[in-house]
Amino acid sequence: MLATLSGLFENDYDDEGFRTCSVTGLEIHRSAEVHVKLFGLTAVIALIVGGVFALTVALTRWEVIGLVGEFDGYYRHLSMHAWNILIFWMVFMEIAILYVGGSMVLGRRLPFTSLAKVGYVLMLAGALGINYFIWTLSGGSDAPLLTAYVPLDVPPGFYASSIVFLLGATVAALPFLLTLWYEKRGNWSATLPLVTFGAFATFIIAVQAILGGLVAFSYALVWQVGLIDSINTGIYRQLYWIIGHGSQQINLLAMITVWYFLTHVVGGAVVVSEKISRSAFILYLFFINLGAAHHLMVDPGLSVEWRIFNTSYAFYGAALASMIHAFAIPAGLEAGRRQRGLGGGLFGWLTSAPWRNPIFASTIFSIIMFGFLGGISGVLMGQLQLNMTWHNTYATVGHFHATVALGTTLAFMGLVFFVIKTMFQRNFISDRLALLVPYGYSAAMGIAVLVMMYVGILFGVPRRTSEVVSNIPGSDFSLSAAEPLFWLIGPMTVLAVLVGVVFVLVAVGSLLLGSRTDSDDDRELLPDGGLRPDGGESVHAVEMRGTFTLCLIFMATFVAMYVLNWFLLTQLWEIGA
Amino acid sequence: MSGFTRFGDQNPVGETYEVDPAGFEASLDAYRDEAGRTSADAINEGRPPEEDERQRIIVPPGDSVYVMGRQFTWGGLPVALEAGREYDIHLGARDVQHGFSIRPEQSLSQQINLQIFPDTEWVVPMTFEDPDEYHVICNEFCGAGHATMSGSLFVVDADEYDTVVGN
Repeated sequence: MLATLSGLFENDYDDEGFRTCSVTGLEIHRSAEVHVKLFGLTAVIALIVGGVFALTVALTRWEVIGLVGEFDGYYRHLSMHAWNILIFWMVFMEIAILYVGGSMVLGRRLPFTSLAKVGYVLMLAGALGINYFIWTLSGGSDAPLLTAYVPLDVPPGFYASSIVFLLGATVAALPFLLTLWYEKRGNWSATLPLVTFGAFATFIIAVQAILGGLVAFSYALVWQVGLIDSINTGIYRQLYWIIGHGSQQINLLAMITVWYFLTHVVGGAVVVSEKISRSAFILYLFFINLGAAHHLMVDPGLSVEWRIFNTSYAFYGAALASMIHAFAIPAGLEAGRRQRGLGGGLFGWLTSAPWRNPIFASTIFSIIMFGFLGGISGVLMGQLQLNMTWHNTYATVGHFHATVALGTTLAFMGLVFFVIKTMFQRNFISDRLALLVPYGYSAAMGIAVLVMMYVGILFGVPRRTSEVVSNIPGSDFSLSAAEPLFWLIGPMTVLAVLVGVVFVLVAVGSLLLGSRTDSDDDRELLPDGGLRPDGGESVHAVEMRGTFTLCLIFMATFVAMYVLNWFLLTQLWEIGA
Repeated sequence: MSGFTRFGDQNPVGETYEVDPAGFEASLDAYRDEAGRTSADAINEGRPPEEDERQRIIVPPGDSVYVMGRQFTWGGLPVALEAGREYDIHLGARDVQHGFSIRPEQSLSQQINLQIFPDTEWVVPMTFEDPDEYHVICNEFCGAGHATMSGSLFVVDADEYDTVVGN
């Protein structure tokens, strides 16, 4: 067993510890590769833990089953689900992505690997602590859920563990920063590759988020242990959402970086305009954190001007950036494939793409689902007035499952498959099962997410509760009109978890039992004609009318949803001064 | 968004005051002492309440209405309001954060949600047009028992209001 495990971390390196990846052509140093594997594998373990609780939460919200009762620990289950998937699966993966985007893409060794190890141990200790304090909650204490809102009675150990985890993530990210430092030190004027640039933007957003988190959790901790007498609810919420939303912005940037990377390697995409794509990353740096204010839209005590500035004028800077990426990546795919003569007509470049490659399918479904479901809903709920109809309803749950559980998770699943093929150099135990993952997961989660938004907006079903649809304990009233729709949400979320199980089986099974890849396997991963375009036309001379059409469809969907939401709002009674 | 705060009728906007939770509870108690009472039967049957029925449903003494979240009940609910009249809804909490999620029974899609803090009093004016029983659910997690936290708000046709509240 131990030999199998240590075998996972071995590849053929030269005397200096480098090898050339036969898929990407990158010069990869052992120090970077073993740490990418370490953080990636830990992320998958967090996904498994969080996935188990996804099932118990889903089977509770499907009230026909009502698995875990209000007083039987439902909120502990919900907290475990949130922290393991939304934080641990994501952040461990993101550290791995930083090492890929830094050391691997630049062809350098990972400097100060001791920092990576210390960071890893701190992150692991923090994660274990958080799981421990959630799971062992005693009668008098409250479950933290994701937000640990004060003045709930959340155990101090929980806040302390969160601080340890965040410090660990900061330490683990430092080798990435040092990689860039060494790269640029001798060569200030040379430009970084786009993927490294995206990873660097991710790093900066992460630092902002983590600082906010350290302040928020420290504030709550000193209050919980009695060093200060009172704590201000609104200030905690403002501080908390710097990390609460900021952590999701780390996911966003990491995911977009993965989109550029994987569409290029397995789809043959080119970068249409380096300047435009890089400008979009810079827009995020300035504006995306301010967008976190959309969590506070219906809070008391904040001025209208503050709320509107942050979530419209500032946030449009970030939404613009996202739309630039959403255009640039499919455009790059279209241009790259047309340059090679792959597919004519409006969408031939897309229909001829390697849809039987699970890495490609995961990436493309991630882009589509994130944009159409997560992006549109995010802009809608970020409107000051519309937020009243979205806030804390099941529609919110639909939104962030579209972004994180569909968009980011799918992209990261694709990346895990890619790492299994290229770094662990193992074939999948079953190509068919691997291919089932992106299709099955997108379909099941896609339907679940749409219906979640539907029951949230049109039936007012709240989030964060064990039962409310069939029965509100102690009341004659209920939201049972929404009950039939839970016959879609329930089975679809369960199905999504089952596909998640297939993902884990394929990933872990391939690592332990998969055959070693050879050069033929590597060639199969690449788009027809190898990794680089065959020259010929320059990018701006290539038509991108397929992407333009897709953008028009996106815009039409957006406008329809926007009008519909505002129409529903104006049907309400008069509210507000 | 900015324009809608000027010409639109639905905005999550109102005066806010820092209060301590006990102080807000004292305001609620004073308001309850001054308020009248009626009953659901009187409202549903469109008749004045019998004297022994004047118990559960609060009849606000003026234009102010107090609603206070507390693990796991709504202080100040149920309450009877007159359709078409503007009330100042004073929202606050006694212990932890709560969520004021309200909808009429007959039209679930007409629902809004406001966040409530224990250290802030938020005065949000509202004018309910359609007579119906409106239901309030807590939609911010407030501890185990959160799912049981609900209350109601009766909006009565202006022509019947004085009758059914027994004025």
